[in-house]
Amino acid sequence: MLPKEVASSLSTQWPCRDVQIRQLASLLGPHIPSPPTLVVHGISATCKSTILRAVLATVKVPHAIVRSSECITGRHLLTKILWNTLEALSQKEEWENSGKGRCEQVSGLAVLLEECLAARPVDNQGKFVLVLDEIDRQREAPNTLLSALARLGEIIPSLCVVLVLSSTPRPLFLQSAAVPHVSFPPYTRKEAIHIILSLDAPALDGLPDETSSRVYPYFVSTVYDSLAGPTAGSIPDFRSICDRLWPRFVAPVVNGETPPGGNTEWDFSRLLVKNRAIFRHQGESALVHRIVPDETPASAKRAPLAKTAMPSALPSLPYFSTLILTSAYLASHTPQRLDTIFFSKFSSSSLSARNKRAHHRRRLKVLSQAQAEERRAANDDPSTPNKKGKRTKTRITKSTLSSAFATSSATTSAIGGGAGIAGPSTILTARPFPLERLLAIYHAIDPNPPATPLRVAAVADRIYAELATLRRLRLVVPAASHSAMATSSGNTTADAGDKWCVNVSGDWIGELAKGIGVEVGEWLAGGLD
Amino acid sequence: MTHIGSSGLKDILEDVDAGVLTDVLSFVRDTSPQTCDGCIPTALVTVGSNVSSLSRLLSRLNGQLISTEEGSVVVLESGDAPNLKTTLKNIIRAAVTNTDGNDGYQKFLTDRAGPRLLGYDLDLLHDYVQRKGTKKLVLALRDSEAFDPGLLTDLLSLFKSWLDRIPFTVLLGISTSVELFEGRLPRSCVALLQGKHFEVQEAGNCVDRIYETLQTDPDTNLWLGRNVTSTLFENTSDYFQSPEAFSRMVKYAYMSHFFANPLAVLLAKPDSTVIAQNKLCAAVRNLPSFRMFCEDLVEEGSTKQVRDMLEDDEYLIQEMPKYLEANQQRMRNIFQAVRVVHVCLQYTQSAKKANVSDLSVRALSGELSESPIVEEMVATAKTLDSDKLGELLVRLGAIITNPEADTIQEDLRTLLETCSGSGPLRSGYNINSTVTKTTVVQQRIRLSKGQADLSEQAVEYTNIVDRLVALLQVHLTESLINPQDLFLHEAFLFDLRNPLKETFAPRPRFAIERALATPFDYLLSSSDVTMAKVSAKQPATSILYQLYLDSGALVNVHDLWQAFYGVFETEEAGGCDDRVVMSLFYSALSELKAFGVIKNSRKKTDHLAKSAWMGL
Repeated sequence: MLPKEVASSLSTQWPCRDVQIRQLASLLGPHIPSPPTLVVHGISATCKSTILRAVLATVKVPHAIVRSSECITGRHLLTKILWNTLEALSQKEEWENSGKGRCEQVSGLAVLLEECLAARPVDNQGKFVLVLDEIDRQREAPNTLLSALARLGEIIPSLCVVLVLSSTPRPLFLQSAAVPHVSFPPYTRKEAIHIILSLDAPALDGLPDETSSRVYPYFVSTVYDSLAGPTAGSIPDFRSICDRLWPRFVAPVVNGETPPGGNTEWDFSRLLVKNRAIFRHQGESALVHRIVPDETPASAKRAPLAKTAMPSALPSLPYFSTLILTSAYLASHTPQRLDTIFFSKFSSSSLSARNKRAHHRRRLKVLSQAQAEERRAANDDPSTPNKKGKRTKTRITKSTLSSAFATSSATTSAIGGGAGIAGPSTILTARPFPLERLLAIYHAIDPNPPATPLRVAAVADRIYAELATLRRLRLVVPAASHSAMATSSGNTTADAGDKWCVNVSGDWIGELAKGIGVEVGEWLAGGLD
Repeated sequence: MTHIGSSGLKDILEDVDAGVLTDVLSFVRDTSPQTCDGCIPTALVTVGSNVSSLSRLLSRLNGQLISTEEGSVVVLESGDAPNLKTTLKNIIRAAVTNTDGNDGYQKFLTDRAGPRLLGYDLDLLHDYVQRKGTKKLVLALRDSEAFDPGLLTDLLSLFKSWLDRIPFTVLLGISTSVELFEGRLPRSCVALLQGKHFEVQEAGNCVDRIYETLQTDPDTNLWLGRNVTSTLFENTSDYFQSPEAFSRMVKYAYMSHFFANPLAVLLAKPDSTVIAQNKLCAAVRNLPSFRMFCEDLVEEGSTKQVRDMLEDDEYLIQEMPKYLEANQQRMRNIFQAVRVVHVCLQYTQSAKKANVSDLSVRALSGELSESPIVEEMVATAKTLDSDKLGELLVRLGAIITNPEADTIQEDLRTLLETCSGSGPLRSGYNINSTVTKTTVVQQRIRLSKGQADLSEQAVEYTNIVDRLVALLQVHLTESLINPQDLFLHEAFLFDLRNPLKETFAPRPRFAIERALATPFDYLLSSSDVTMAKVSAKQPATSILYQLYLDSGALVNVHDLWQAFYGVFETEEAGGCDDRVVMSLFYSALSELKAFGVIKNSRKKTDHLAKSAWMGL
């Protein structure tokens, strides 16, 4: 089969990949000697693996495919390669001949593979293609793995190794010259729309076919321009957004509403004007995948009502834990040097103390706003830090409190990066605090302080127990394990001097605290006024 | 308390979970990757603070799936998942041992055609699934929040790529909220999952059910008093506490009654000879409730009986069981009344629901019959229409065994039969049946309220409502007495706050601080004189700790040494050995370090930093 024929037979199923299909078909075709190594690369959802499989199946070359993402270690990968090869050559029964199915080094693999391939019957000694899918994502891979695997094809003449990468390879990354690369670029606008339109519009009851076929192409390109294109959405994303929005988009036609302006029929522009809000609200939410999907589009009309009626349920923590979490949040978000001003009982009543507190609150608010702005500016335009931004920065460093905010390793506590910055939690990062500080702040903010001081002593001990649960829920985490999380997920030891850090966003804690009668803004620097 | 053993508790908890279980089970059965757009089917189960309920749910789910041979549940905890390799190994082992046992797992590893696979190879699981014909393999992460997000992403992406061969369903137990959990995972990980959200009953609800069963059960002989009840419920609302922990506390309370209260022997209905041998009669005569009882008798004029009870052991022994029995019955009546109020409140109260525990606390302190809750309830009950009243009567009939209640129910039924089809009847107290009249008298408008003309049936219905309300009021005032007034309540009412509270809230930090600051609270002092605060007689660590308490956040070690030496110098006038004191100082210092109260300061080389403050 000629590469051209392969391409024409496959492109009905996978359009817009003619060039790549022809390249692969000609490089891997059974009658032409193949290059020892071939690199196929492109970002995810560009149809690399699918096309490769289809081409191999069409040109009828014996091949084995190993998904590297299923291999846990390098050794696992090598064993898998050997196994899948044996299986593809239908020599699985003779596994004892080939190293008892064990393979720990690439050099060993080369020997074993050569034996296997040589053991084939004489009339079947053609080429064999070994596909290593997503090989750049291999876990625990030694540095030399890729270049070593690339050498396999050079050592064994009848073998052709295809490396599928999802990142763009660096030049000469295999340490060998002139390895042919086949690139799968992302689909362009025209291609993406063509692919979506190659399938018909989702059928809807009550929508005439004629209207559907007239409006759908415009709709798809609008969706691409407004949602899929700017977010670099893949084809499946694009299709699911289209499927989800289409019923809402044509809802006026289906419900039999009269078009505005005295016309008798809906056309695309009228529908678009009517449904502008869809692209703004539902469209954006359609981009984000949720584990629990929203209401089905059938109840589209009632959806906003239901949403307002049932706000996202707050988890209910017990009273004591909520208070501890609140104190942890405050400890994380108040500079330690301002503790006496904000939390001391001595300074709680006097006028001058109150003025001082208000002053610091304003200072911190300005500071955090400036920080947020600066960060936003940096996000907008990371390449050219303009002068304005710099000036703000110098102003901050001059401010007396900037030292309190000089954070190096603390992480943002906000849930979604952008929302956290704009949200009411104005101090951007949660800083670690020692446990004793948490206890002290707990006593300061306790809305129902115990009447007898004897009972106070028990509080610290109960706090430890609750803190352990909060830590298990990852609401409060030891600060050290932030950096070395992987090593210490199971262990629960902590020293008295160790630092802790709160791990959730402020809005959430604020609401929880309101439930037990603590106003976070009252204590938080920059929270009120 | 034999009747509420662990089996009874289990029944209650299973009953509470039943709804969620069927939901989750049907979710597991009905979903497949195809119905979830190719994502891993995921059940998110929020358990709130009711942490232990998930494991119950999972074990029952496992049992159901295995019994129908559909599959099984593999439970994974964050402790089992330090890294990917171990996690996979654990999953495979758990899946195989779940159905085949440990030997089965070993056999499974060795008895295979082909080479021995690595323990973490999912090929093993694939093989197992094919052999068993498993249709659903539920992987449950009990505490999903505690998993390392990176590891979770790795694990889920691995499952995703195996999804075409192994029918995974993931079940995530979440203690906070779905949004919070979702927000913490990387987007790429969230994109792998799709499914549904389930909510397990709150712990408070389970606890209420347990408490209600304990106290209102007709076989109960011993009740928990007001103080104990409020302590128990305080714990549930303030701290993370599972229903199991609650029942452990209850058991402890019962135990402390039986072990520490000699009167508990009366509950066992002993022979009169047993009572006579011991000094039980004397003990009973010393009870406050005995004194109160006698005073009441004297007021009634039966002095003879009082004299007999005070002087004649035989008589007392003979009388005691009678009173005990009667008063226990009255306790049962109290809780029956509580249930009546609870049922009525479900029909009358609209906004906030009072639960059994609140009502019980009030009833146990004897305040329920006069409380505003009950008054409001009675007022609202008058305005109920006939449909609701009918339902209420059916519920009440199950609790109250009173001929009057039955006749009321019967009358209502006959009344409704005569006027069926005209909608529910309303009583004369209903707001719709009062009419405001406006009359102009001497150029002033006078508003006067009057009864609208009621139909004959309505009048009759009002009559029935009046009877019911009267019945309720009589019943409640009769049964809702203060249990502290009952003779011998010390025997069947456990109401001591203290052992319970102390036992379940240990105070190690407080104890250590106190021991260090005032060691002679615990140790025997050698001299009789109460000493000045710091003295050389005290252990060295304690001396150093007291000096440490006086210092600021940073302590110069040399200053500390000087002060320490000073303590010994002043006490032992003859001069003391430098070297001995120095060695004491060093051992004390290292002990304090081991306690974690001091550490080396990074700011100044010869200083120590304080890391614990007393009294927090």
